[in-house]
Amino acid sequence: MTRIPLSLIINGQTHEVLAEPHRTLLDVLRTDLGLIGTKENCLEAECGVCTVLLEGAAVNACILLAAQCQGRAILTIEGLAAPGQLHPLQQAFIDHGAVQCGYCIPGMILAAKAYLDENPEPDENGVREALAGNLCRCTGYQRIIEATLSAARALRASPSSACRETAR
Amino acid sequence: MTQVTRIVGRSVPRMDAPGKVTGTALYAADFALPGMLYGRVLRSHEPHARLVRLDTSRAARLPGVRAVITAPDVPDVRYGGSVKDERVLARDRIRFAGQPLAAVAATSPDAAAAALAAIEVVCEPLVPVLDVAAALAPGAPLVHEAWASYTALPILHRDRNVCNRARIVVGDVERGFVEADRIFENRFTTSSVHQGYTEPRAAVAQWDSSGLVTVWSNTQLPFEIQTTLAEILQLPPSKVRIIVPGIGGGFGGKLRIGMEHFAALLAMRTGRPVKVMTTSEEELTAAYPRQPAIVEVKTGVTNDGRLTAREARLWFDTGAFAGSGPGVASVATLMLAGPYRIPNLLLEGFAVYTNKTNFGSFRAPSGPQANFAVESQMDIIADALGLDPLELRLKNIVREGEEGPTGQVLTAVGLEECLRRAADAIGWRDRRPRAGRGKGIACGWWTTTGGSSGVYVKINPDGTVALNTGAAEIGTAALTGAAQVLAEDLGVQLADINVVSADTLSTPYDFGAQGSRTAFAVGNACRAAVADLKRQILALASKHLGVEEHALALREGSVVGEGKRTTLGELARISQASGGGLIAHGTFVAPPTPYDAKRVEGHVYPAFHSPSFHAHAADLSVDAETGEITIHRYVVAQDVGFAVNPAAIEGQIEGGVAQGLGQALSEEIVYENGRVLNANLTDYKMPTTLDVPRVESILVQHPTLVGPFGAKGVGEPPNIEPPAAIANAVASATGVRITTLPITAEKVALALRARAT
Repeated sequence: MTRIPLSLIINGQTHEVLAEPHRTLLDVLRTDLGLIGTKENCLEAECGVCTVLLEGAAVNACILLAAQCQGRAILTIEGLAAPGQLHPLQQAFIDHGAVQCGYCIPGMILAAKAYLDENPEPDENGVREALAGNLCRCTGYQRIIEATLSAARALRASPSSACRETAR
Repeated sequence: MTQVTRIVGRSVPRMDAPGKVTGTALYAADFALPGMLYGRVLRSHEPHARLVRLDTSRAARLPGVRAVITAPDVPDVRYGGSVKDERVLARDRIRFAGQPLAAVAATSPDAAAAALAAIEVVCEPLVPVLDVAAALAPGAPLVHEAWASYTALPILHRDRNVCNRARIVVGDVERGFVEADRIFENRFTTSSVHQGYTEPRAAVAQWDSSGLVTVWSNTQLPFEIQTTLAEILQLPPSKVRIIVPGIGGGFGGKLRIGMEHFAALLAMRTGRPVKVMTTSEEELTAAYPRQPAIVEVKTGVTNDGRLTAREARLWFDTGAFAGSGPGVASVATLMLAGPYRIPNLLLEGFAVYTNKTNFGSFRAPSGPQANFAVESQMDIIADALGLDPLELRLKNIVREGEEGPTGQVLTAVGLEECLRRAADAIGWRDRRPRAGRGKGIACGWWTTTGGSSGVYVKINPDGTVALNTGAAEIGTAALTGAAQVLAEDLGVQLADINVVSADTLSTPYDFGAQGSRTAFAVGNACRAAVADLKRQILALASKHLGVEEHALALREGSVVGEGKRTTLGELARISQASGGGLIAHGTFVAPPTPYDAKRVEGHVYPAFHSPSFHAHAADLSVDAETGEITIHRYVVAQDVGFAVNPAAIEGQIEGGVAQGLGQALSEEIVYENGRVLNANLTDYKMPTTLDVPRVESILVQHPTLVGPFGAKGVGEPPNIEPPAAIANAVASATGVRITTLPITAEKVALALRARAT
């Protein structure tokens, strides 16, 4: 099958890849670029483990064609904070015990980031609705919600702690 | 009993959290090797059929396809934990829709999928055995005609489609019913539910030139998979190496062989590394979900609420193979007794073959099914006798020093405290605040699985510590808990410890991440290792410092005495220069729990080790029109023995309740004519953030003598009581008793309507 050249702006860096037009962003991220922090599971946009930010919006990379992302900015978990640093959401997820097996967590954190970017003063119901597309089977969500609310407070107190906003 | 501790008993963050929040943690599903091929499995569409022909010639010629294997290409081996009744690929008989028929390896997932579609399957459908009732009917077709010739644990009681009947007999149940004023007989059914781990089962296999196959897999039991895979491949176990890079949830679904054998066989055939990973459809049709159950409970009780006798039978649909079924049927009998003092018991658990997937172990296997039945019936009894359900329970629960159903002596029994504190927290005195709102309670007990664990603990030359364990971290933070125990005993900080885990070639043996045992058993092995290390450290320090050993003490990474001091790092360096380093092998095996062998038959799990006790209470409303349930509050009081890491335990409780509420309210793998109707995550409804209420945890601590610092197993129990607690609260709110799971809004609305007419 013919491969097409794609230019993807991932975590602030431009990546040139050749990919068949039917291949998903998830597949290209994981297989071609080795960005395995974006997870793979249901492949039909039901579980949310593949959530990435496309131009700042949370999307399921498993049903998005890589070709649809031509020239567009993508943020994956690897780009959320500079190496060796943690975004306030990441720190809050650690501090609140929001992580168990962790497989859903990259997608969960990115979905939370997209929500907090638009809603810096969220309430619990808002967080619950924003994360409803991300399944977690370990935690019962309680600590994830607490961590997200706590990160929102930290971000309001110190907006610069959000590190570099590579994909905005 | 108060223990002064530095690190255990504290809610420290789990050690692997930074890697997990930054996306750098490696899971089996992420694992890849250069030149790797992609494997897929062709599965049967028929639930029961004679396999006439498989034509793979067209598939094998497709571009990118490197191997297509069918039964004749693999060793003719039947394997299985308690009954050897399963083959890698169907030879001539298909026993469930989803059974593997062939496997392919190709250069891309797309090419592998195309190869599957190009395989021609010719089979003659047979009448399927669709459920337990059909399997037990006179003259029912046999799922395994040759069942009697199979190798099986001799202890099992097998008979045609029944691959085990486990039994507990205590006293004289007929006499007990004569002593009763009232006898209650109820029947309950439960549905199959999937563990729902977010990481698919995955394996990558690679052979080396010495004939060793290495498989990177997300199994919970690397050492059991090593044994099983060696059996399948007809190799000595030393030629099979299992490494667990990381696991994205298991909950019992990753105990038995998953994709490892397909990956190994395809890698052998192609000479290339091969990765095999399941799809959601495969997970929901051909994995090891929880057994559906039919439970019949007959209980005798006096008018003042004293239980005199119970006769109960639980039939598990085990599917096409025995798998975990015979063991789970055994555990079920202990759960049918409940945590109650009942002098006369006849309890039976059956594992029954049908033409469905091999139902398996799911977090507290048998627990929710049996508990839903017996705890629902406790409320039925209380209502009929005009007693408060809490009082009925308190009147009958087991107490310190009393016997369990098989005669084990119960110690560290925190059940009364659990019941009272859960009831107080939920506001039990106001049990029916208004029409349509009610509170329910349910209690239970569970085991801390034994088995053995070994660890190597090594002091590094910088004074940090390496903990090498054969156990895998499945997400529970159990290895953080074990490391807390190690840090506590060794007098170092948790940050000083690095964990290496779950590699059958290089890590010591471990019975595996199952049965709520990891922190308990690995923690104890760490304690043993520290005892040995301390001897080595003090002997070396004594020589080095010129101070008698008895005058030395280990404190915060140093050895001190008589005004002198040396560090663990310095001692490790001295030992490396002179004695091969400071290292210890710590081991633990749970001591046997004595029981009365005359009371059991066909039983592979006759007593609960260091049992835990728990009570759940729910406060909910039911919409009179739609039947929709809104949970206002949910309280868990769990006797954890000793809380090594309270926040991590609360996380286990919150997650276990969420999973249990899924089983209680929404989850069901729906079968029609032997085929799954909802094999996708749209129609298989797991709870989301919008469904799970806040869970309030109360940690009750009655320390066991066996566990580290008194800890009991904590991971599985929270999954047990939610269905019963919800059913009882719904009955309290509406007067309607739902006896089948899940308790959907539709079911409640229909029951309300039926009562109204």
